[in-house]
Amino acid sequence: MSIHNPNADDSKEPNASPQQQKQMEQAYAQMKRKMAMEEIGRKIKHKIMVLSGKGGVGKSTVSTGLALSLAQQGHSVGILDIDITGPNVPKMMGLDGRRLHVEEGRIHPAQGHLGVKVISMAFLLEDEDTPVVWRGPIKLGAIQQFIGDVEWGELDYLVIDFPPGTSDEPLTVAQSLPNIDGMVIVTTPQDVALLDSRKSITFSESLKVPVLGVVENMSGYTIRGKTASSTEVIISGPGGKSHKVSSDGDGNFSVTLDIFKEGGGKDTAEEFGVPFLGALPFDPGFVRGGDDGVHRIVSEPDGESAKAFSKVVEAIVEQIGESSSEGLEIV
Amino acid sequence: MSKTIPELKRLERRDLDVLLSYDNDKNFVVTYDDIKHACPCAKCAPQRNEDESSRYLRREIEAMSPEKPKVKTVGKYAISFEWINGCSSGIYRFERIWALANKLDPDDGKSYVHGAW
Repeated sequence: MSIHNPNADDSKEPNASPQQQKQMEQAYAQMKRKMAMEEIGRKIKHKIMVLSGKGGVGKSTVSTGLALSLAQQGHSVGILDIDITGPNVPKMMGLDGRRLHVEEGRIHPAQGHLGVKVISMAFLLEDEDTPVVWRGPIKLGAIQQFIGDVEWGELDYLVIDFPPGTSDEPLTVAQSLPNIDGMVIVTTPQDVALLDSRKSITFSESLKVPVLGVVENMSGYTIRGKTASSTEVIISGPGGKSHKVSSDGDGNFSVTLDIFKEGGGKDTAEEFGVPFLGALPFDPGFVRGGDDGVHRIVSEPDGESAKAFSKVVEAIVEQIGESSSEGLEIV
Repeated sequence: MSKTIPELKRLERRDLDVLLSYDNDKNFVVTYDDIKHACPCAKCAPQRNEDESSRYLRREIEAMSPEKPKVKTVGKYAISFEWINGCSSGIYRFERIWALANKLDPDDGKSYVHGAW
């Protein structure tokens, strides 16, 4: 880059040193990226952050589920997998081993099931067994590049999947990407996960990003069976709890067992005065689907899990609204 | 959280308070000092757990110069206030605003629980 001032007397002005030239180029690149981020902010209607305080609660499963469920409803959707050190979204979206296309300095996302656009660190790894060991500033640069240099096009929703905890990543995204609608906190009904979810809710206040609500994952496991018609069956559940169910006229019965605890996510949401978006059942199909790259919502679009996701999406859309100030006049 | 309350239709920012109009045709006035004192954020809320720290918080708020805040909606469930002086982090659910309008305890008698961090 060179900037020429026609009024300046070039013969008297010393040329910029290579270091100054480099600094100017860096500043120019930074400014271009900032402008690109603002442009992206305008082109993407809604941005949803998905966080959890604790790892292993199924955050990436929920992120991909939300994205696919939104896509199922006809929205154009993208997922930004910001989990730099453990990116799993491409595998769940059937994009394992894919490479990103770069054209004129812009990164073009890969397209997974139902046309969902995906950007993930996994696309840049030579070998999936190679760990990414980056310190904060490098990670921060990569995240800014993932936001500013990606050609998302026009999107209705961008779902951003984070690593667990309250670290640099959400902070960087919240500071870089304008007009984030809010964050969805994923939890499981166990005390440690609920405790960490509370941290995430408090964290949202520091980031000044509203909490759209809490989703309870692995909420209950439904078992089904067949016996004589109109018979009472006693099922022994976790913790020695007995469940009495009656079969229908054809002898079918079903009961949902709370594998961990009941209603923890709802209680946490109520305690902090944030919406409870719904509970997602414990579904072994998610594990198989994640491993095979065919998400449960894609393989069974009318199944129980897809229905549960659809309800959560409805609750999120209700929170966001097309116009957030609708109905209330502020003067 | 899921209490049924009338819908807030209009919020008028006045010099020292807000005038709230609900869809049941009732109007209420809530002072900015009351709003600031009821901030639900993790920094302010624990200060209301004890009478003494709550009184201290109140005195701090009352010592601030009066100002008209910026108000914006948060999703469809809450509003937030942006002050020059004082804490702007709190997200006020409509239930909290309704409680303040009706001179009820916005914390519903519950102390703020931090968890173990």
